[in-house]
Amino acid sequence: MLETGIQLFINGISLGCAYALITLGFVLVINAIGAVNFAQGDLVMAGGFLSVVFAEFIIANNPHPITGVGLFILPLVLIGMACFGLLFSMVTYTPLKSCPPATVFISTIAAGLIIQHGINAGFGPEPQIGPALISSGTLAIGTLTLSKQQIAIIVSASFLILCVGFLMNKTQLGRQLRAAAQDPEVAETIGVNGAQCVALTFSIAIALAGAAGLLLSNQFFITTSDGGLFMLKAYIAVTLGGWGRLDGAVIAAIAIGLFEVIVATLVSYILAEALLFVALLLILLFRPSGLFAEAIQRRT
Amino acid sequence: MIRLLQVLTILINITLFPVWLKADESYIPILVPVTGFLSLEGTAQRNGAIQALDKAPINLNIKYEVSDTATSPEVAVTALHRALSRGQPAAIAAPIFGTQMLAMLPIAKRASVALITVSGTAKLTELNNPFIFRFFPGDSVVKVAHARYIHEVLGAKRPALLYQTTAYGQSGYSHLSRILKENGTPLVFEEALAPSVKDMLPALTKLKASNPDVILLHLHSTPTALVIRQARNSGIELPIVAGSAMHQPSTARLLKADQLRGVCAETAASPISELNNEVIKFTTEYKKRFATAPDAFALAQYDGMNMVIAALKSGAKTAIEVRNWLATNTFKGLAMSYKSDGKGNMAHDATIVCYDGKTRIPKIIQRYLNVDGVF
Amino acid sequence: MMALLSQRSFVFTLATILIPLCFALNADTYSQRIMTLSGIYAIAAVGYHLVFGRLGALSLAQGCFFGLGAYSASLMGVHFGLSFFVCLLFAIGFTALIAALIAIPVLRLGSHYFALATLGIAQLTLLVAINWTKVTGGANGTYGVPQPDLFGKTLSSSTEILLLVWFILALAVGLTFWITRKPFNYQLTLLRDLPEIAASSGIDIGRWRLKLFLLSAVFGATAGALQAYTIGVVSPATLEFQIMVSILAMTVIGGKNHPTGAIIGAILLTHLPEWFRFLETNYLIAYGAALLITIIIIPNGIVGIFNNFIINRVHHNLKSLLEDGKKIISYPTGLSLKIKNVSKRYGGITALKNFSMTLDSGQIVGLVGSNGSGKSTLINIITGLQRHDTGTIKLDDQFIEDAASYKRSEKGIARTFQTSLHSYDLNVFEAVLACSRNNLGIEEREQKTHRILQESALISRAGVMTNQLSAAEARKLNLCMALVTEPKILLLDEPAAGLSSAEQNFLSNQVRLLAQSGLSILIVDHSMDFLLPLADRLICLNEGSIVAQGLPEEVLTNSKALESYFGMPKS
Repeated sequence: MLETGIQLFINGISLGCAYALITLGFVLVINAIGAVNFAQGDLVMAGGFLSVVFAEFIIANNPHPITGVGLFILPLVLIGMACFGLLFSMVTYTPLKSCPPATVFISTIAAGLIIQHGINAGFGPEPQIGPALISSGTLAIGTLTLSKQQIAIIVSASFLILCVGFLMNKTQLGRQLRAAAQDPEVAETIGVNGAQCVALTFSIAIALAGAAGLLLSNQFFITTSDGGLFMLKAYIAVTLGGWGRLDGAVIAAIAIGLFEVIVATLVSYILAEALLFVALLLILLFRPSGLFAEAIQRRT
Repeated sequence: MIRLLQVLTILINITLFPVWLKADESYIPILVPVTGFLSLEGTAQRNGAIQALDKAPINLNIKYEVSDTATSPEVAVTALHRALSRGQPAAIAAPIFGTQMLAMLPIAKRASVALITVSGTAKLTELNNPFIFRFFPGDSVVKVAHARYIHEVLGAKRPALLYQTTAYGQSGYSHLSRILKENGTPLVFEEALAPSVKDMLPALTKLKASNPDVILLHLHSTPTALVIRQARNSGIELPIVAGSAMHQPSTARLLKADQLRGVCAETAASPISELNNEVIKFTTEYKKRFATAPDAFALAQYDGMNMVIAALKSGAKTAIEVRNWLATNTFKGLAMSYKSDGKGNMAHDATIVCYDGKTRIPKIIQRYLNVDGVF
Repeated sequence: MMALLSQRSFVFTLATILIPLCFALNADTYSQRIMTLSGIYAIAAVGYHLVFGRLGALSLAQGCFFGLGAYSASLMGVHFGLSFFVCLLFAIGFTALIAALIAIPVLRLGSHYFALATLGIAQLTLLVAINWTKVTGGANGTYGVPQPDLFGKTLSSSTEILLLVWFILALAVGLTFWITRKPFNYQLTLLRDLPEIAASSGIDIGRWRLKLFLLSAVFGATAGALQAYTIGVVSPATLEFQIMVSILAMTVIGGKNHPTGAIIGAILLTHLPEWFRFLETNYLIAYGAALLITIIIIPNGIVGIFNNFIINRVHHNLKSLLEDGKKIISYPTGLSLKIKNVSKRYGGITALKNFSMTLDSGQIVGLVGSNGSGKSTLINIITGLQRHDTGTIKLDDQFIEDAASYKRSEKGIARTFQTSLHSYDLNVFEAVLACSRNNLGIEEREQKTHRILQESALISRAGVMTNQLSAAEARKLNLCMALVTEPKILLLDEPAAGLSSAEQNFLSNQVRLLAQSGLSILIVDHSMDFLLPLADRLICLNEGSIVAQGLPEEVLTNSKALESYFGMPKS
């Protein structure tokens, strides 16, 4: 009974960590441009497919199964998706940067459609399995059977999140990014290039999405229509965590993962989903600014 | 002014490219979901249909067009109207999606064109519509076979079921639970999963606690693979009898061969498992052309299109004549023999395939012929 | 009717409805079906633009209303066999009820939370539709929705259904025009772009939000009901997020500020995937690409290009209506404002501490103090934009400290703001017209607007968009917007800042004249040169408390005032 509980707890944390990666990228972009990137879920899915491509390439040239091929592919995916992120921001944001946020909704929606159906046309509709980070086997600790991939997800997601946190809070570059996000005009006056910062933020955000895709694609397989679900979870997490707060978003995302698994075990999946929304609505009712205070309060 | 409008109307209609057919050409639209969450099955339909139509005798002059029906009945209806406006179809390959079929049926009736589908939704043939022809055994055949297998062969008394909250899943659930209850072995556990559910441990935990002796799955492709993998990883070694999603090669591909030991699937046929020469030929050609292995849906659609071709070969020209031929003749396809039961159900056999844990290609274990006694 | 036709935007909209209709009437069934669908989604998009375009709120509930309308109308028709219009009315009523229930908690949320709350409700409704199999038919939906009937006759041909849908669309557009008739459309723009000014000008923001939200729900439900009846089945596909995204895209691509935009967007985005169908599997890629290119090229939407053509800007050519001598504007006299013991804290900072003051008719009181001493907070509290912690505010013999902002404006309190006016969608005349009193007829409102602009020497700039004014002109405009309400109490927040001495003189004279007409005026400012000759009394604030008050000369020699204002110790 206890083992099941621990197992479920780890499952929840693992799922939550993957959500957290997606949400972190999501909130970085929100802070940078004040608009929601509707393609975030599809970008996660794209990252998953990219890792499948890399894995097939490596395996084609190396017939022996390699342990830890995922670890090798992870930086490739990060770099690849970061480059794609630059392209993405150039197409969906830069031409529209002086327009109201509604236009960026549409441009990212359109980009998401292109990504989703482009991959569908290129790969076909079959579900794919991505490379395992270390291996897809299991680890026995006492009476527990933990999936190695799940542990890998928790470890690598935490590592990436901490890296981003360190970048944003402790480095000069991170300070510049935050300054440009908070007040682009003033940032320009002190020599911070707003456009570059936005592009860089998109790169980081989409690299994170790609990493999430890699991690999820082995544990849960990947299909082209998976994008919508990830977007929804990220959106909920960002709002619950206090719009614009990085730490709040990450915590909320992990909480959502745990909530889903625990409630599904205690009651049912349908109720888990329904209760998530009900909880969301109740929280908004009583704390209209999310669980944590908003990052920026308006001075009246 | 009015004339200008009329001219513009004509111009717009022309730009929508109607199919200009010559006198003895036949037009067959293929309306299937190639995008969205049923794109796996829809693409199989498309591929099977195209393979059949491309091999039709040249003198029949068959022209075909593929149009996406996506995920909603609205798009399917639009696709149907478009197909009907672009020519006089002799028959139409129709989507596997039950709800879309339900919306398309009245229109097909008014246009007097037969719909050739592989959808298993029971209701389709309960509406007194003479224009539906279903080439995949309905739930009243496969679910009976499913239940008979676990009862007669496995001797299971405590079945547990995980099913999908989609039309496919809900329909299968209602049939299975009823049949199992009638057999005296009601479900000891049941849970509905949305297609988006990723972590199966909560369901498996509760399922284990109810102490079943067989796990039944009625899920789509990816969730089926997820359940099996997680079950085997958690040490659940119970026999698993899944729905037709399991037999699909793309599902098996997601799993390792040893995870598949003890897993069986109910289906109409399994082209990659057949040892029959004709089927092997079909499978080889399909793999070469579409870079993927065929499943029962592709084969069923292939058979359905071939029956239409047989109708055309025997002299049927108009859609009504094709329809009448389909309703009154028996056709020996690759998967099985097809004959209408008067309501449009053409397929009456089911197959159980099982994996031996050594390979991803399942073996045919049991055939249930003529389950509903039509032949 | 003739007045209506003279409005360019009405004619434009009429053309948008009639031209596609004429095309479709001559076309085959398929084209008619697509045009029917376009009409259905146009109805939903017209409803959506009311919330998204006019209120500026990102609602994600429109898809939900669409689905609720589809289900409620269909289930009525299938299970009870009622006629189409009865089912439609039921669907509208049911959906409006749900909308009203969720409006109350949800409308007061800030923008992203509002979006998420509406999204949450939509997802919940989808869950119910999929899983409450007994009632909704589950994932398969409910089959057998009858064809719509009109006065007993079943509409079965695609032409008949097309006409029905587009007729209802025309009704919906007509209703939209009526709701947003002059000057309400200006008030809505003010509400969206400058909400604080709107609140202080007698515009009941809460009521408008509720009204438009409910109306959007009504249109959404109508569209959903029509959709279910035209395809004959209702399924959870009507509640999927996909539909919400489509409606959003239609509204933005078409142009979100005008109902025509919704119609054009709906027609375009319904036809686009059909035009690309010949690409088979790749058609949605082409659709996405087309969408992307369109939004990059025309970010303001298609109708946005024609904005200046179709939107009738109100002119100021009312010279013929006004005789110079006629008294158009009159300020009521004899009111006093008594503020007693008002306090306000922000967290650890005390903004106001036991502040008391009386303002009588014809008096000009100046309020000075260093930054952060609580001056703006006081004005916000008097007008109701901020809530006080303790104390009372009495206007004549009525306590108003619990009244909403718009009510206080109705009772005669007006103010100006320090912030500049950024509305891309209002010109000077329209901005002032929007603030005029709601209980007057439109002609009278226009006359008063004209006279106020004349008196402030702004009439020559009446047709200029507000975001193109110079700083001084923006100030004048702000004052005009306050004065057109014919207030009894006028609160001026730093009116002289940034004005040249000539402009300050003009303002001084204006203020004096207003005081002579009977207004009670409170001026908050830093400029002593401006206040000294003008004010009857001065109050000096420091960190929320009054340190000196009385005749200006007295206050100036008061050492405490000197210290707080000039930072000089007693010398």
